[in-house]
Amino acid sequence: MVRYIARRLLLLPLVVLGVTFLLFFLTQRLSPEMRASLYVKDPRQMGALEEVIRQYGLRDNVFKQYGRWLGQVIHGDLGYSPSANMPVSRALKEYLPATVQLAFVTMLLVVFFGVWFGAFSAVHKDKWQDSLARIISVGGFSLPIFVLGLLLLMIFYGKLGWFAPGGYSFQTDLIIHGSTFKTYTGFLLIDSLLNGNWRVFWDVLSHLVLPAVTLCIGSFALMVRVMRSSMLEELNKDYVRTARAKGLTPRQIIYKHAGKNAIIPVITLASIQFIRLLGGTVIVETIFDYPGIGRFGVLAAQQLDIAGILGFSLMVAVLFVLGNLLSDILYTAVDPRIRLE
Amino acid sequence: MPLLQVENLQVTFTVDKKPVPVVRDLSYTLPAGKVLAVVGESGSGKTIHALSLLGLLPPGASVRRGDAVFQRKHLLALNENQLRTVRGQQIAMIFQDPAASLNPVLTVGEQLVETLRAHRSLSKKEAWKEAITLLEKVGIAQAEKRVHEYPFQFSGGMCQRVMIAMALALSPDILIADEPTTALDVTIQAQIIRLIKELQQHSQMSVIFITHNLALASQVADTVLVLYGGLCMESAPADELFLRPLHPYTQGLLESLASVQTRPERLPAIAGQPPVAGEILLGCPFAPRCAYATDKCRQELPPLTKNGAHEVRCWREVVK
Repeated sequence: MVRYIARRLLLLPLVVLGVTFLLFFLTQRLSPEMRASLYVKDPRQMGALEEVIRQYGLRDNVFKQYGRWLGQVIHGDLGYSPSANMPVSRALKEYLPATVQLAFVTMLLVVFFGVWFGAFSAVHKDKWQDSLARIISVGGFSLPIFVLGLLLLMIFYGKLGWFAPGGYSFQTDLIIHGSTFKTYTGFLLIDSLLNGNWRVFWDVLSHLVLPAVTLCIGSFALMVRVMRSSMLEELNKDYVRTARAKGLTPRQIIYKHAGKNAIIPVITLASIQFIRLLGGTVIVETIFDYPGIGRFGVLAAQQLDIAGILGFSLMVAVLFVLGNLLSDILYTAVDPRIRLE
Repeated sequence: MPLLQVENLQVTFTVDKKPVPVVRDLSYTLPAGKVLAVVGESGSGKTIHALSLLGLLPPGASVRRGDAVFQRKHLLALNENQLRTVRGQQIAMIFQDPAASLNPVLTVGEQLVETLRAHRSLSKKEAWKEAITLLEKVGIAQAEKRVHEYPFQFSGGMCQRVMIAMALALSPDILIADEPTTALDVTIQAQIIRLIKELQQHSQMSVIFITHNLALASQVADTVLVLYGGLCMESAPADELFLRPLHPYTQGLLESLASVQTRPERLPAIAGQPPVAGEILLGCPFAPRCAYATDKCRQELPPLTKNGAHEVRCWREVVK
C-alpha cells in the first residue's frame, strides 16, 4: 500500500509538468504584445510594452520561457495576477478554501441523499417509491446547472430573500478581515467555529446553500442511479441469501451486507465528482458570484491573465492527482480484497 | 412423530403470468437424527423445494399448495418474523458455492458472530470466543488468527467449512446442505462430506442433503429421494435403492456411474434431455427418455406406489 501511494506521488510531477507545458505552449499562440499588455500600467507611455516584453523575456524560445516559469514555481512564485490584482499564490490561497468548502458540503449532500435514495429505490424495486426516486433522479439529471442556478437565485433570493449570493455578507467581510478574527485553516466554516463566532458561521453557511444545492442536483441524480443498480446487483448475490438463511433482519441484510458492498462503486463516483467540483464549479461560482477558485479561473481566462491561468491549472492538476489518490485510499478502506492483496 | 413432515408440496414459477410447476406434489418425512438425500438433475426442483421450506424462494416463485410441519409449526404458513426465528436457529442451510455465499467485505468472524447474536443474547466478547470454537470444530487450523480474515483469504473448501460452522452455530435441528461439494475438487469433497457426517452423528441433527450425485447420496444418506421434473420418482432406504432400484430413471442413473472396476470405453448415459420446467404436465415426465415407455406412460401420470419403505412412481410397478 505504501509502495502504491509512493508510486502515485511520483507520478504527480509528471502530470503537473504535462498539463502546464501544454497550456504554456498554447499561450505562446498569443503574440508577446498581447501577453505583455496586461502588465502595462500606462499605455500612453512610449515603449512601455516593449519594456515589459524585454524585461520578462516574452520573445524567448518557449522552452526557455517555460523553464523560467518552472524555476519560479519551485521557489513558490507563481507570478502576479492582474485580474485578481494580487500575486497568484495569494489568490489561490484565498479562493481555494471557499471552493473546497463548497465542494465538500455539496458532496456531503450528494453522498448522503444519493446513497440513501438509491438504496431505498433498490429495496422497493418497481414499486411507487422506486418510480418516484427514478423520476426525481432523471429530472435532476436533465436540468442544466445554469438554468437551475438562476431559478433558485430568482426564487430564494429574488422573491423570498432567504439566501443571498456571494460568499458572505458585508458585515462578515468586516469581521473576518478585522483584527480579532484569527485565521486557522482558511476554511471559514471551520475558522468561525474555532473563533466561536456563530454569526459568521451561519452567514457563510447560508451563502453556501444555493450553490451547493445547485451543484448537488446533477451529481445526486447520477449517484442515485449508480447506488440503485449497485444495490440491486448486490441484493441478488448468494451471500444475501446466506444472510437471510441465517435469520438476520432485513435491516441487517440491506445495510450491513448488501449496502457495504454496494457502496464500493459509489466511492469511486463520489471522488471523481469531488475532484470535478474542485476544479470546475466555474458556472455555479459565476452565477452566484461565489468567491471561489472557479470564478478566479474564469476571470483570469477572460482577461488573458496568463499567470493566473497557469496557476489555476497547476493547482487543478495537483488536486486531480491527489484526489485520485484519496479515492484509491478510500477504496482500500472499504474493500479488504484490495487492501490485503 | 417425524421431525419434519412435508406433504403435497407444490411450488410454481410464474412465467408470462402463468404458473409453471417446478415442484409437484412432493411428500416425505424426515425423522430426527437421520439424513435424507434429495437427488436430481439441474432443474428437477431439488433446491427450490428446500428454499421454499425456509421462505427463501426467489422472486417469481411461490408455494401453491402443501404443508410442511416442523415441531408443530406449519413452515409454509409462517410470516417473515416467525420464519426468522426458524432460519439459522432451527433449520440452517449451506449452499453450493461457498465462496460466493460469504460476504466478501466482512471477516469470517463478523459473519459468525452476527449469526450467533441474531438468535442468542451473547456479548460481543462471548460471541467471538464462540466463533473461534466453532471454527476449530470444523477443522480450521489457527482459528484464533483466521477468524479475523476475509473469505477471499480462504480456499473453497475452507469457505465451506466456515459455512458449516455458521450453520452449526446455533445447533439447528435440521441442516439443509444444497450441493455442498459441487464447487469443490474431489479430495476436498470427501473431507467436507466426512465432516458433515461426523457433525451430524455427533449432534444427532437431521440433514437434508441435496445433490445430483447418486453415489454420494447413497454414502451419506439413510433415505434417498429421487426427483425428476419436480416429481418424486422413487424413494427408499439408501441400501435398498442402490441394490434394487425400481424406477428406470434411477436404474439409468446407477448405470451411468463411473466404476473403477469395469472401465468402460464410454460412460453409459441416459439418452435425451431432462424436461424444461412446465413442459410435460401430462403423463410421466421421464417417458420421453424411458426405454419402457408405453402410450399410457405418455398420457397418464403414474401414482406413487408404496411397497414397505420403498416408493416408486412407475406404471410398471403399479401393474405388478
